[in-house]
Amino acid sequence: MHYDIALHELILAIIVVLILVLLLIISVLSYSFYSYRILHYRHMWKRIIEYKIMETIVGGDGESERDSAFSKHLKEPSFRALFLNVLVDSDRKFSGAAKQAINSLFHQFKLEDEAWRKLRERKAYRVAGGIQELAAMNVEAAIPEIKAKLHDERTTVYQEAQYAMVSFEGYEGLGFLEHFNKPLSDWQQLRLLYSIHQIPEQSDLQVDVWLKSTNDSVVIFTLRLIRKFRLMTYYTAIYDLLDHTATAVRVQAIRTMQAIENSTTVRQFITCFGQQPIEVQLEILKSMKAARSKESEEFLKEQLWNHQEVAIKIAAAEVLVVLGERYYLQEISQQSDTYDQLKQIIKHALQEKKC
Amino acid sequence: MLILIAEDDELILRTVEHKLVKEGHEVVLTRNGREAIEKISELDLDLVVTDIMMPFASGIEILSAIKSIEKKIPVIVLSSMGQEEVVVDAFDLGASDFMVKPFSPNELMLRIKRLTDK
Repeated sequence: MHYDIALHELILAIIVVLILVLLLIISVLSYSFYSYRILHYRHMWKRIIEYKIMETIVGGDGESERDSAFSKHLKEPSFRALFLNVLVDSDRKFSGAAKQAINSLFHQFKLEDEAWRKLRERKAYRVAGGIQELAAMNVEAAIPEIKAKLHDERTTVYQEAQYAMVSFEGYEGLGFLEHFNKPLSDWQQLRLLYSIHQIPEQSDLQVDVWLKSTNDSVVIFTLRLIRKFRLMTYYTAIYDLLDHTATAVRVQAIRTMQAIENSTTVRQFITCFGQQPIEVQLEILKSMKAARSKESEEFLKEQLWNHQEVAIKIAAAEVLVVLGERYYLQEISQQSDTYDQLKQIIKHALQEKKC
Repeated sequence: MLILIAEDDELILRTVEHKLVKEGHEVVLTRNGREAIEKISELDLDLVVTDIMMPFASGIEILSAIKSIEKKIPVIVLSSMGQEEVVVDAFDLGASDFMVKPFSPNELMLRIKRLTDK
């Protein structure tokens, strides 16, 4: 009797487990099928949308079958979301009349509402998406709301807002830098720099205020901006940065001085060299290599002979090669009283030039 | 004129294709570098428009292939921002012109016309 019940329960348990496994298989299969359908639809929809964009750019005659498929799907929210995505993506590929055509599609199909809705959502990536879409489609009415997002705590949101402000206003969109206290990533700096095409002659923005920022990344970005636009007037302010607490700022200051060099630059490099850490000294030597000034020759020979760091000796030897001092280097490498390490360094520098 | 377009972005590929067809050109489409190299050696092309970054073989490899088979085909290179050094390499390998993305298809047509009119 006891065994009968146990056997009965065991069979029941096996059946339950089998049913559960079966249900699991069915749900996995259903989910896979659902995912496949979504992917399939997205792929199909993307083709329809891209055709519509292409047709608008080229100014086609509007193939009725494709056009009706487009109109049919336009009522579906997920299709509209994809349309907006593809439109923003396409906007980055074209310029001129094609860009305007893409922009016209955005307004024609009232996709602005979708973008506004995203901007006002809670999730950071949705808000960032909304900012990106409104900026790409040049919806100027969104500027006040996007400007407010510059103070958002979430990185994705404030970064997208910064980029959008620069897209809308160009150089004037950099106004946020004055009070910006978070790190400006290298990637973000590059995005912003690429988006600025000119600096207006009359502007209220103060580059010298950014150079004095307590945020090192803002100072570095400003130095890159000065380099891009060759803003010679800030030369003295940049020279003052050579005693900045951050080595990264000093390195960028050296690069910028070299980019906007004048007749005093090499002499200034020589004067400040001794007070700089190794990273900055190496940057100075790189700049001297680019400057190719004979004025630095004696200084370089001194570094080659007397500096404690091998990296500096190598860099100094390389600059001497560029300055045409190959004969001098060959001569000292053959002298019997030259120590072995220096001979190796010179050999390396001479080979480096040959390569 | 028979023009080959090598571009892995479907929208750019189709847009340029339709523009060229409208101008009365015959167009060959390729979506990767390897396919483009094959077509270049097979066909008697008048011009090539190629992207720099593509699957299997880059625009630079396409230019090298054209150089190695000693065909004199004008090539317009489409590059992205920040690829300035690659563009210099492209000119060293014989590229005739280049455009930076985002680009204007109308301007591309003008450049194609200038090269095919020569």
